[in-house]
Amino acid sequence: MVRLLLVTLLLVLVAGVAFGAPYLMSDYFVRVLLIIALNSIFVLSLSLSNGFTGVFSLGHVGFIGAGAYVSGILSLTVAQKASLLPNLPVFMNWFSMPFLPATLTAGAFTALLAVIVGYPLMRLSGYFVSVATMGFLIIVNVVLINASNFTRGARTFTGVPLDTSLPWVFGWLVVTLFVLWRLVYSPFGRRMKAVRDDTVAASAIGIDMLNTRLSAFAIGAFFAGVGGSLYAHYLGSFSPVTFYFAMTMNLIAMLVLGGMGSLSGAIIGVICVTLLSEVLRSVERGFTIGDFIVPALFGASQVALGFIFILIMIFRPKGIMGESEFGFGLFRRSANSKIKQGEVK
Amino acid sequence: MKNINRRTALGLGLSTAIVLAGTGRSFAADPIKIGFPANLTGNAASLDAPMLNGGKLAAAEINAAGGVLGRPIELVVYDTKSDPTVIATVASQLIDSDKVVSIIAYSDSDSVLAIGPQIQKAQIPLITPGATSPKLPSQLGNEVFLACFGDNVQAAVGADFALNNLKAKTGYLLTDLGTEYTTLLSDYFVKTYEHGGGKLLGKDTYKTGDKTFTAQIAKIKALPEAPGFIYAASLVDEVTLILKQLRQAGINVPVVGGDGYDSPLLLEVGGKAAEGAYFTTHSYIGVGATPKVQKFMDAYKAANKVDPENAFAALGYDAVKLMADAITRAGAVDSAKIRDAIAATSGLDGVTGTITYRAGIAVPDKSVSVIGVKDGKLFLASEAAPTFVPEP
Repeated sequence: MVRLLLVTLLLVLVAGVAFGAPYLMSDYFVRVLLIIALNSIFVLSLSLSNGFTGVFSLGHVGFIGAGAYVSGILSLTVAQKASLLPNLPVFMNWFSMPFLPATLTAGAFTALLAVIVGYPLMRLSGYFVSVATMGFLIIVNVVLINASNFTRGARTFTGVPLDTSLPWVFGWLVVTLFVLWRLVYSPFGRRMKAVRDDTVAASAIGIDMLNTRLSAFAIGAFFAGVGGSLYAHYLGSFSPVTFYFAMTMNLIAMLVLGGMGSLSGAIIGVICVTLLSEVLRSVERGFTIGDFIVPALFGASQVALGFIFILIMIFRPKGIMGESEFGFGLFRRSANSKIKQGEVK
Repeated sequence: MKNINRRTALGLGLSTAIVLAGTGRSFAADPIKIGFPANLTGNAASLDAPMLNGGKLAAAEINAAGGVLGRPIELVVYDTKSDPTVIATVASQLIDSDKVVSIIAYSDSDSVLAIGPQIQKAQIPLITPGATSPKLPSQLGNEVFLACFGDNVQAAVGADFALNNLKAKTGYLLTDLGTEYTTLLSDYFVKTYEHGGGKLLGKDTYKTGDKTFTAQIAKIKALPEAPGFIYAASLVDEVTLILKQLRQAGINVPVVGGDGYDSPLLLEVGGKAAEGAYFTTHSYIGVGATPKVQKFMDAYKAANKVDPENAFAALGYDAVKLMADAITRAGAVDSAKIRDAIAATSGLDGVTGTITYRAGIAVPDKSVSVIGVKDGKLFLASEAAPTFVPEP
């Protein structure tokens, strides 16, 4: 009962921030909050396969890109479709979809894509699956560049309505977090972790390895597609190169930094990396302390961030949160977390 | 190795962030702030970095001469890392935190498209030194101005040059479908060349990153009549390969293109095959340049220890001068008045040509330099304004 009350209170607080922030804070901080929430959706959906199921996918950004383009194409107005995408097939060029249905369609599309791609790939293990999913990312990129009737090729896809606001992203973040929380800390979640920790033993007790991995992969891809749609409606214009290796590395860094086996860790990783890169980006422009002038050194923020990653990997190789959750004791902890942390023998 | 626990790690990170965030910046007496976001790292860096150096040089010259309206100007520079997400965040920093009165930004259309919606919403004028898509103002709104000519103008000059200087009444068109720039350039070229009475014997396409052009070249060789010249709407990486493979196949007709060729790579990679290549660009920077350009080259070298890398250095310089001129004529540091003053710019003499905006058109009428390659060196083949300009 107390828990229910606290959860409701937390939700009210989130809603308050989402709707109130634009009135209280400058546009810059609202954007930083929005990017944190958006990246949290990306990294949470990534953690499902990479962290909890042990399928270290490098193709996640492929789903984000596919979601962004699907939602972008669906939400252009009919007039924009005629001028920007003159060769769009007839069945697609006579309507324009609102934000929410376009986002759901994008998610459904990427989930379907994940089932098709994952069916052969999820049989692989270890770094084989990483390389194979990276192949998927490259295929998505080449398709986006060459399917120019749908995507304008390598040229900028522009004109997507700027619908993504803080309440939308926070709303989707809450949905993502809720679904993943219920999933990860459920019997199905136990199966995922069993497959991750010891495939042979998991199979021996009757866990369907392919099925478990494929489900995790497809659910992760659904939220990646949803996030991609939000991202498309945040940027308004993007091109295939937006969804490639740079973004992949960024998301994986956030996940590994926060802790691979923890949902709250994923969010903490996102918050740390985003805030740190924002602060470093301002610092690299140079500043003065008293008479001491530090000149501008552009590019230094990337170097400093990389250095901090190295330090964290040396001193906390499992990431900031490792496998435990951070919930003010509100939520049930995973039973094995204390054992893993060495707190319980 | 001793592990730092979770709480310590979080605490350490947080306190560092607070300390770093607290390091404020102090400013001299009340300068006029002009936003200058640039992609100083990432894939657009080779164009934006010279552009920023050119811009800083212009700002230094203006401030040395007493500033604008009695106040110095300050370029508020951010590195946007060739990343649209960072561009959107920086735009709100410039508008909300730095409160800039106007913005000068970018050498590529993609980045301008990324920053456009926000500056349009905030009603802050933007001058782009180097994004040549003439569609930008209609895509984004009335706050966006180009300091460079549009692709329709340079394509028109390229077509005029082929018809009048090369006396080529027949041509062949090669288009890179991989970028917005080359696709637009090619469309505009066809319109002017055919308007001027030229006849295209054929058209072919390829995509950015292609390495062999054997199929395209075989088609040219199979034509019943050899074309007078080839227009290649290409970027420098591909055009050097196209030139080499054309010359190997024994096709020695001139090859004409746009400012995408304007890079030292044309001569370095193209070598002997680059003979007979011509391209339209903003300004001829090199040995035998006009005194005005030579003066800019010397000043740039003195400030940066290197010669101007490409025409974008000069464009950055001109964009800052254009903005300062507009603020002076506006008579007040007010975004709306500055916008109107930019739109009314007439006959402003810059390194890259004279800038005049016709009423309601945010792309200036500028003369275009046509540069050719002869004996392994660049030379100014022609400097002209087009006779017919296709609609953007």
